[in-house]
Amino acid sequence: MTSSLVGVWRSRNVLQYLVRRDLAVKYQQSIMGYLWSLLEPLGIGLIYYFVFVVVMERGGRGGVIPEEHYILYLMSGIFSFMWTSGVLSEATGALTAQKALITTMNVPREVFPIGRVLARSAEFLAGIPILAVLAAILGVDFSRWLLVLPLAILLQAVFLTGVALLLSSVNVMMQDIERFMRMIQRLVFYGCPILYPLVLVETSTLPVWVKVIYKTNPLVGILEVHHAAWFPQLFPSAGLLITCVVGCLTMLVAGWLVFRRLEPAVLKEL
Amino acid sequence: MSEPIIEARNLGVEFVRNRRRNLRLRESFIHAFRRDRRRPQQSRETFWPLRHLSFEVHPGEAVGIIGKNGTGKSTLLKLIAGVLKPDEGEVVVRGRVAPLIQLSAGFSGDLTGRENVNLVASLHGLTRKEIRARFDEIVDFAGDQVRDAIDSPVRHYSSGMKVRLAFSLVSRLPHPLLLVDEALAVGDREFKQKCYKVIDGLLAEGRTLVLVSHSQPQLTRFCKRGFYLDRGKLVVDGTIQEALDAYNGPPSEVDAEED
Repeated sequence: MTSSLVGVWRSRNVLQYLVRRDLAVKYQQSIMGYLWSLLEPLGIGLIYYFVFVVVMERGGRGGVIPEEHYILYLMSGIFSFMWTSGVLSEATGALTAQKALITTMNVPREVFPIGRVLARSAEFLAGIPILAVLAAILGVDFSRWLLVLPLAILLQAVFLTGVALLLSSVNVMMQDIERFMRMIQRLVFYGCPILYPLVLVETSTLPVWVKVIYKTNPLVGILEVHHAAWFPQLFPSAGLLITCVVGCLTMLVAGWLVFRRLEPAVLKEL
Repeated sequence: MSEPIIEARNLGVEFVRNRRRNLRLRESFIHAFRRDRRRPQQSRETFWPLRHLSFEVHPGEAVGIIGKNGTGKSTLLKLIAGVLKPDEGEVVVRGRVAPLIQLSAGFSGDLTGRENVNLVASLHGLTRKEIRARFDEIVDFAGDQVRDAIDSPVRHYSSGMKVRLAFSLVSRLPHPLLLVDEALAVGDREFKQKCYKVIDGLLAEGRTLVLVSHSQPQLTRFCKRGFYLDRGKLVVDGTIQEALDAYNGPPSEVDAEED
């Protein structure tokens, strides 16, 4: 693993070119491209705001955040989710879609999935100014977010890198896992505290083992750290944070090991 | 003598013959209920497209690889290029490789010629400045047809155009080892003549060339040394004439040919 880490580090300029190409193809390096990347998360946010706050008047449920701040809670979760969901759909094909390069050029193959993780962080990063503006409008004090947000980004990057390495290599051997991703994206969206606060799950009547499984998902902890950037009271408990950190690292190591293991077979198959 | 630039020791790679390509979850799910029907463990049958290869190539040498279709010539180039991993033995390459294998430099169809040149060249370690300095030269060499189409996606190129642009790019990389896989067979005569001059120039500079070709004149023109591969074995490692003689000589006992 250390040798491949060194390999990836040496190929960081390769990584940079891949990411830049991905972004250039997607946004054509324009201002409109930047706005375009915000269209989907903002649209989703408005829809749920309409449903839960305007129609059902449930925005403040759980009592951990004031109802008028619900939109900020919602948007910060959605921007983080967009990154995850982008990786789930695009990292899966990272190797199969770039087979022309992979079968002719000897670069550490890890850079292809990792490149997708970085490229897909673009929407997320593009969203941060929006969140800051939203927080300023709502009068939410975000003096601490500078400390917490990098932690959230780091954890999520580690987790998603593991996911990307795993999915991209397995997808070469079993090409229909791409199709399961839509379902998994849904599952992640509703199975994480994005629409609702975590408190509602914790205080629900669900059996304890379901709650334990729910919280083993590292994304739950990651989202809570994201939320804590704006609402410090939501910062995860020590237990949840440790679960999350361990989960992220496990995912990274597992993804990397699977990738290494499958690499020779993947190269033959491509 | 100098340190070899390519060093292969007991090199071998194994493929699974009847692997059902693109095994699908859906299928494995469906087949789970009616197992052992049709597929009596054929899936584990393997073969070795290359095995027990050992050789050394020294800087400045030009090696021609000859053999019938399906005897592992391209597989060998891929192993040298590092885009395939050996299952047995090892191959050590000292220095960077400029590969032109499978008639492609790694171009992706949905990018334009310009984007592909920039991407592939930068993946090969050229800085943006170096690319800019060489760009016109690369495109000019590839010909008018390519120059006119440089901003349209490569998937609209003819195979000749693709190979011309690929050769043009790869031959301008500063890497010491050049791998060429039958690429010269695709271009027209005029382009071939241009390529010959370039390769002569590169060899004169002391670069190393490994050339896979079926063309005798090409092989004798560039290569002093020849490898003759037969069914995954390195049968002759000698002068190019010896290798060609083995290739042209009385066909070896069986004609059952793997492809």
